Amino acid sequence: MAHTIVSTDNRLALRRNTKKKLSKTAQNLLILVTMIVVLLPFYVAIVYSFRSPSDITVNRLSWPDNPTLINYYNVIFNNDSFLTGYKNSIINTIPTVVILMVFTSMAAWVLARHDTPFYRVMYAILTLGLLIPFQCFELPLYINWYNAGLVSTNIGFIIARAGLQISISLTAITGFIKTVPRDLEDAASIDGCNRFQCFWRVVFPLMTPINVTQLVLNTLFIWNDYSTSIILLRKKESYTLTLAQIVYFNENTSMLNEAFAFFILAMIPILILYLSMQKYIVSGITAGAVKG
Amino acid sequence: MVKKMNPPRLSRQSTRIHRGNLLFLLPTVVLFTIVVLIPFIQGIPYSFTNWKSIVSVDREFNGLNNYKYLLTNKYFLESLGVTFKYTILYMLSANIMGLILALMIHRSSWFNNIARTVLFLPFTVSVTAGAIVWSYVYTDVYTYLTGLVSPLGMPGQIVYGMVIIGAWRDMGYTMLIYIAGLQAVPQDYYEAATVDGASKWQQFWRITIPNIVPAFTTNITLLLAWGLRTFDLPMAVARNAREGQFTAVYVYDSIFSNNKAGLGQAAAIILTVILLILTQGVTRFLRRLEVEA
Repeated sequence: MAHTIVSTDNRLALRRNTKKKLSKTAQNLLILVTMIVVLLPFYVAIVYSFRSPSDITVNRLSWPDNPTLINYYNVIFNNDSFLTGYKNSIINTIPTVVILMVFTSMAAWVLARHDTPFYRVMYAILTLGLLIPFQCFELPLYINWYNAGLVSTNIGFIIARAGLQISISLTAITGFIKTVPRDLEDAASIDGCNRFQCFWRVVFPLMTPINVTQLVLNTLFIWNDYSTSIILLRKKESYTLTLAQIVYFNENTSMLNEAFAFFILAMIPILILYLSMQKYIVSGITAGAVKG
Repeated sequence: MVKKMNPPRLSRQSTRIHRGNLLFLLPTVVLFTIVVLIPFIQGIPYSFTNWKSIVSVDREFNGLNNYKYLLTNKYFLESLGVTFKYTILYMLSANIMGLILALMIHRSSWFNNIARTVLFLPFTVSVTAGAIVWSYVYTDVYTYLTGLVSPLGMPGQIVYGMVIIGAWRDMGYTMLIYIAGLQAVPQDYYEAATVDGASKWQQFWRITIPNIVPAFTTNITLLLAWGLRTFDLPMAVARNAREGQFTAVYVYDSIFSNNKAGLGQAAAIILTVILLILTQGVTRFLRRLEVEA
């Protein structure tokens, strides 16, 4: 009697297990299909970029018969807007993310460590940027930048883009500092280091994880920026890659293969950054989520 | 929360520290004031003027005329309609897809880790670049496989075409936030429920969903705000289609192309007010659910 009960139990468990395995396989298959659909646009871009201009295949999804690098060669060596765009994107992005890191980490430390009405109001004002859409002040910003001679300049873009990113960075860094115990700072100030020394020697190194996260995320947002660039960068010499590629696309619909090569080349730095720094991007995004 | 009371200090010392704090805040405050605060305040009076071309300084106060005009203007109201329709569909589809994907791959394994990397990839590409490639995916793949015209080429379907692009890009983002939420649900809740004989379905509705409400709050309010200020996407693939005209594009065109700067500024302020009311309202509502759960 007891024996039979155990064996049916076993058989039930076995059946449950097979069912579980089957549904797991179905799930993985579904994920795999989703991944293929998600990657499809990248595949289409790559296929176009490797196709020679004379290659007219009926099936546009198939891999080109004679893949060629000529499109890449032409974009790199015979296209002014590409090199100018690259130069501007690099010149604009690096100082912006560095300024943001230095400025917002200093401010966030003060705001996270004090809980009086004054600092709470300061925090509320500095994070207003999360609520106000850019459209609401693009006109005054453009007018002020124009009057100051900052339109279509790298420095003008850097100032504006850093200012626009403050609210997001500040929220993330303040949230992080609140989780760091302040014992070390207290110990350091007892040891007699002044405020600046205390910050740069003790606090700033403790903030490395959030600072790296912010560097990577801000690089992503600023490299890909379109809405600020189109308002503030009005001359061709000042175009960033994002602007240059959309203009190039609209002006050269006949040279589609080159346009796609342009595209892939513009994406490569971001792709390398994403794949090597993925951990930081994920933690940066989810850190905000847990807080809600 | 690590919060300690400040040890009592001598008043002279505390004023000195206070000044030190201000020095730390100063660079950020100055930058933010120049780039965001001043232009924001400056923009409000512009919306009550008949300012036309931004290259001239001629503008006269014309009261509420811009607002009155906009609230009866067909193009502006249509742009609001397009913006709302896009925002709701995009917010729903990116959230539903993100949640389903998160439920399937929130546990760590080599396969799931690769899946996360791939599914988040579109978020790292610029919106404009992604959208342009999609316009070719539509014509080359969609049309090739189904024989149907690309949704971006059909006035009635252009919003749906853009919703797919928007969801493709941002579902990886919502997925990551849902994964973080799912991983934070204590595992013993499920064990206790299994012991009590609760089915998987009951566990999902009674344990999983109430415990990830904060993730819903983040994702819904964030995508609502992103949707309402959508600008890059129509600029890249729906520049000349009236049915794909978003309010943010209406603002840009009025100010920078159509010599109606005052009117464009008023449209921007209407958009801002709508965005503030909606996101604040939705956040309040969802926060109350969080407390109950």
